[in-house]
Amino acid sequence: MALARSAAIARSELRILRRDPSFVIVMIVMPLAIMAFTKGAFRAALVASGLTDANGAEQAVPGTAVLFGLFLVGNIGFTMFREHGWNTWERLRASWAHPAEILAGKVAVPLAISALQLAVLFGLGGGLLGLRVRGSMGGLVVVAAAFGLSLAGLGLALMSLCRSVMQLNAISNLAGVMLSGLGGAITPLSTLPSWARRIAPATPSYWAMRGFRDAISPTGSFGPAAVSALVLLGFAAVCAAIGLARFRIDEAKVGWA
Amino acid sequence: MLRVGGLHKRYGDTVALDGVDVAIDAGEICGLLGPNGAGKTTLVSIVAGLRSADAGTVTIDGVDALRDGRRARRRLGMVPQDIGIYPTLTVRQNLTVFGELADVRGPLLRRRLTEVADALELGPMLDRAVRELSGGEKRRVHTAVALLHRPALLLLDEPTTGVDVGTRARLLDAVRALAAEGAAICYSTHYLPEVEALGASVAIIDHGRVIARGTLAELVAAHGRPAVDVVIDGEVPEHPPFVGEAAVERHADRLRIVGTDAAGHIAAVLTAVGPRANVRRIELVSVSLEGVFLALTGRRFEIEEDGDGTRP
Repeated sequence: MALARSAAIARSELRILRRDPSFVIVMIVMPLAIMAFTKGAFRAALVASGLTDANGAEQAVPGTAVLFGLFLVGNIGFTMFREHGWNTWERLRASWAHPAEILAGKVAVPLAISALQLAVLFGLGGGLLGLRVRGSMGGLVVVAAAFGLSLAGLGLALMSLCRSVMQLNAISNLAGVMLSGLGGAITPLSTLPSWARRIAPATPSYWAMRGFRDAISPTGSFGPAAVSALVLLGFAAVCAAIGLARFRIDEAKVGWA
Repeated sequence: MLRVGGLHKRYGDTVALDGVDVAIDAGEICGLLGPNGAGKTTLVSIVAGLRSADAGTVTIDGVDALRDGRRARRRLGMVPQDIGIYPTLTVRQNLTVFGELADVRGPLLRRRLTEVADALELGPMLDRAVRELSGGEKRRVHTAVALLHRPALLLLDEPTTGVDVGTRARLLDAVRALAAEGAAICYSTHYLPEVEALGASVAIIDHGRVIARGTLAELVAAHGRPAVDVVIDGEVPEHPPFVGEAAVERHADRLRIVGTDAAGHIAAVLTAVGPRANVRRIELVSVSLEGVFLALTGRRFEIEEDGDGTRP
């Protein structure tokens, strides 16, 4: 596998993104706004649940970051479906690039967007909303990295399973909301119905929220956060395996409709 | 350079390729001719590794393309039928990404980019976004992408669809230049004059089989039939199918006399149609590739109009 060819594809993706960065801007600005709007409500909920010194950012920042991180899941698929819409997919296939090199190049930029999104949201969450990372900064970074990889795995799986961009759009949005809700990203886990709490550990968002909570909480530490990160890496591996097993390079995808 | 043997491909019940054999040597331009649905695109796609074959062999420069597609692809350039370039990127960025995918980088890439841009007159538009270009300009960029790494085998699938006369001339010049450098060219088209203009050898494919292969002169000598057209105003009258040794075909506005002594039978045909027909003129039909196709398949070569009716 030649990293140079993957890098060529990634650079091309980056150039396409630079021509129209609105998606990335929205995926960063919108959660910032939502964090600011919901922080007060979350403070009340957290204080009511016994966290008397909480300011609300402990839930608003990671919760919104997880929700909007999941909205990035479709992005990997969109980069592939775009190739079909622009008739460039056959060109890529006829090139010297191995399918694995193409996929690696395609995943790289969405991963970078995910990293940028998490960095900005947690960075500005600390600077503007008063989020304090009192458990383990290293744990926060590890969980964020693992969460980003799990999004990439999920993105690969959805890209492989969907036949059209409309399917991908609908399913990725639905999955984003459902997984966020079940994982305690939209509202604190303690406020969810008992059935939802029971199935929550089956979602990557649950482990992301749990890992972030362990990293942020004054009673948390690197160890518990790292456990959550490992589970997230497991999700990433399983989803990527499903995606790669289902991936057919000669499958006709419907690019735009 | 390219050797295809006994290639078969079915799509469900439809036979796309039914034992295709064709060979193209280095420096040779081979016009792959056939009507829509003849199997040209399937053949080109299999050679390029975009589709699998049911049976047969494909070797490119000695490499088994069906077993070792990646190694074979290192020897070929592909110009698909549909324009496939990134519309939001500039011409330079498009050429760069596909050049880099063919391991052409750094100073070599810059040099090749300049050469290809010069050959296809893309220089002034290198830093413009592709979506701002005209259809013909996009088609030139689309072709240029396949030339950057100087492939030993270039596959072009209907490369001049919808282009203007100037673009067509530039594309044909670029193809000739690449062949002159030693590349083998497989030029799939359903536009006969391009093949004649390229001076290409010809493989006529019909219903998934190569029904004739050779140089234009060889095919004309073997299959071309002299003909004379009697062009008629108004309804073309019925006529017996033969007059002497010559066949008489009834077309929309003419009777075509086909045979080695077609001209010698004009008087007989005119006598037969008599005052029923208003003869406008008599035309000598030159022996051409179209005549060869007609002789081999028993039908005229149909050229489909593009959507905008610009097909010459």
